[in-house]
Amino acid sequence: MTTTTPTVPQGTTNLEPGVRRGLYRTMVLIRTYEEAIRREYYADKGPGFDIGKGLVPGEMHLSAGQEPVAAGLCAHLTADDAVTATHRPHHLAIAHGVDMNAMTAEIFGRETGLGRGRGGHMHLFDPATHFSCSGIIAEGYPAALGQAFAFQRKGSDRIAVAVTGEGAANQGAFHESLNLAALWHLPVVFVVEDNDWGISVPRSASTSVPSNADRAAAYGIPGILVEDNAVEGVWSAAKDAIGRARSGGGPSLIEVHTLRLWGHFEGDAQGYRTDLAGVEGRDPLPAYRATLEADGVLVPGAADTIAREASERVESAIAAAKAAPLPDPAHATDYVFA
Amino acid sequence: MTDLLFPPLSTQRPDAEGVVTRWFVPDGEHVTAGQLVAEVQVDKVDAEVDAPADGLLRVVVAVDGIAHQGDVIGRVEPD
Amino acid sequence: MTTTQESMAAAAHGTHRLTTAKAIAEGIALEMRGDPSVVYLGEDVGAYGGIFGATGGLLDEFGPTRIIDTPISETAFIGLGIGAAVEGMRPIVEVMFTDFMGVCLDQIYNHMAKIHYESGGNVSVPMVITMAAGGGYSDAEQHSQCLWGTLAHLPGMKVVAPSNPYDAKGLMISAIRDEGPVVFVFHKGVMGLAWMARNDRAVSDVPDEAYTVPIGKAAVAREGTDVTVVTISRSVHHALDVAEKLDGEASVEVLDLRSLVPLDRTAILASVAKTGRLVVVDEDYHSFGMSGEVVATVVDVDPKLLHAPAIRVANPDTPVPYARTLEQTILPMPERIEAAVRRVLAG
Repeated sequence: MTTTTPTVPQGTTNLEPGVRRGLYRTMVLIRTYEEAIRREYYADKGPGFDIGKGLVPGEMHLSAGQEPVAAGLCAHLTADDAVTATHRPHHLAIAHGVDMNAMTAEIFGRETGLGRGRGGHMHLFDPATHFSCSGIIAEGYPAALGQAFAFQRKGSDRIAVAVTGEGAANQGAFHESLNLAALWHLPVVFVVEDNDWGISVPRSASTSVPSNADRAAAYGIPGILVEDNAVEGVWSAAKDAIGRARSGGGPSLIEVHTLRLWGHFEGDAQGYRTDLAGVEGRDPLPAYRATLEADGVLVPGAADTIAREASERVESAIAAAKAAPLPDPAHATDYVFA
Repeated sequence: MTDLLFPPLSTQRPDAEGVVTRWFVPDGEHVTAGQLVAEVQVDKVDAEVDAPADGLLRVVVAVDGIAHQGDVIGRVEPD
Repeated sequence: MTTTQESMAAAAHGTHRLTTAKAIAEGIALEMRGDPSVVYLGEDVGAYGGIFGATGGLLDEFGPTRIIDTPISETAFIGLGIGAAVEGMRPIVEVMFTDFMGVCLDQIYNHMAKIHYESGGNVSVPMVITMAAGGGYSDAEQHSQCLWGTLAHLPGMKVVAPSNPYDAKGLMISAIRDEGPVVFVFHKGVMGLAWMARNDRAVSDVPDEAYTVPIGKAAVAREGTDVTVVTISRSVHHALDVAEKLDGEASVEVLDLRSLVPLDRTAILASVAKTGRLVVVDEDYHSFGMSGEVVATVVDVDPKLLHAPAIRVANPDTPVPYARTLEQTILPMPERIEAAVRRVLAG
């Protein structure tokens, strides 16, 4: 039942221009956000690099390069659909419509954040969009099953999308979840972002099969591989998989061969990374912009306008976060129990 | 007077010995039809026994007593 | 703080006798009748009725869409429970033995227990996890543990362990209605199973209707003046046996904690303030657990309440052995409890 679908090469699709512009706009917003967070993260870590210092302390895992997955996938979702994400969640949160101000305030550890500063960047919970993420590899898959289970029982066509990296596909939770979702015919779409690297370990050193899309067959569900980090390929594959789940056709697995443009975490020197030289050239944003401009979908100046609007939106969220109050230590033990 | 029988638990071994493992209601107490009154066991399978009628329960086979499937283990008398 | 006997006497009108297992199933059934979002998932919970009887009869009444047999995939189905609870359902999810929590502990303590806090209170997880615990029937190292100390140590989940049918039904109903995660641990020895050694303390009167027992409140199972025995679950039975045996020699108060999280420290302190002598009985491992926490509860407030050192009767820091002679030495059996009571009275 596996199909390894060759990507529809960029520039030759039948997608509506409006859809294509929307995909580009989403990706630019994500990239602008990640660049700004990166700037803020490093601004006050010095001298040198002290991970615990600054307005955004702790670990930071940014999704630059993986924008096509979020944009292509979330184009088919509404706020009523659930998304579970990983320690690298920003692109999915933004594309799924999580409120940027609340999300940014959470990343800055403020009382006005999604989690009142208790969760931080790896633990973003937005009930309004049924978005959640977790720092434990693969463990977001099971919760997505439960959300799908609840939606199914309500008789709705709402679905849950569960996203992990390729390293997670070797964790028990991944396999248990695929089996159970298939067995119970749950309206879930499993997405694997293969960015080649599980921190410093390449996929060839972790995974026994060439593609996790091939693993789907082991659980009796369709598996689709999208190559080349192509946003329109993701869009097409997601349309099929999400449509299948919505119409009662059960779960599918999409693996996207995407790109981790930066380190696993900010501060990662990537000395282990053998493909570093070619990374900049694989950046999906300039390539897609060039394609859309060549197709006349982006008229001259449109890309700059999009970039400017994204920057305004992002900087506004960051400014609001910086102005927001810090959590009161007297309330540090609140919210343990409901 | 209605008999309370040890239920058939084993179709493969209809003559198997069983044991009355618990009475939930003591001898002489009033029971209503359908009320849980006893638990019995054959091999590793156990079953609940409900009162077949309203009335006073009379215990015939006490706890730990051996009985065969179909034996009378108790009675319900009109009260 | 009420005595179990008082509760039962008050409820004597409209009651029936049940085993703890049947009382748990009845509590679940009552809640399921009233709330369609309550479902029960786990291994062998359907036609089998639960390996330890917690869901006996429920499949017949509610059918396979609400009493759901799962594959052996604890991580997946505990996580499924979490996702369903986040979306407004009230799932009850069974881990067959506490010993098995290792295979799914991440979902329990890193997800179920933390989501409410991580989200600043914006996301609730109203689910119950049931687990069977305890030894005494030669099920050996990997099937005889209690591990409630481990569960109680991890923030964000309530932990309850009833000792009798009345508390079991009431705590189950409370657990289902709780807005957050509750781990409901039932010792196999309190369930009143026909295929385990008979335990007459596993059967008692239970009110017909739905009622709650508050989570976080201990019960004085037996009043006394000379020594306080603080304990939980199956050990309550042993403590009561010892107290009855010593009646006339010593007046032993038995405090049934019923919950570990929240821990009823007020009740512990009140009892020890009265008697001045403390024995803690815990079928979990001795070190770094429940028994130390109970003693610390007293010492943190006023060590002078204790007229003699507190004595802990627990499993030693040793896996539970198979051979009966060894297992009966490891578990906190009545002989050890009686010896501890005598020693604390003499000290």
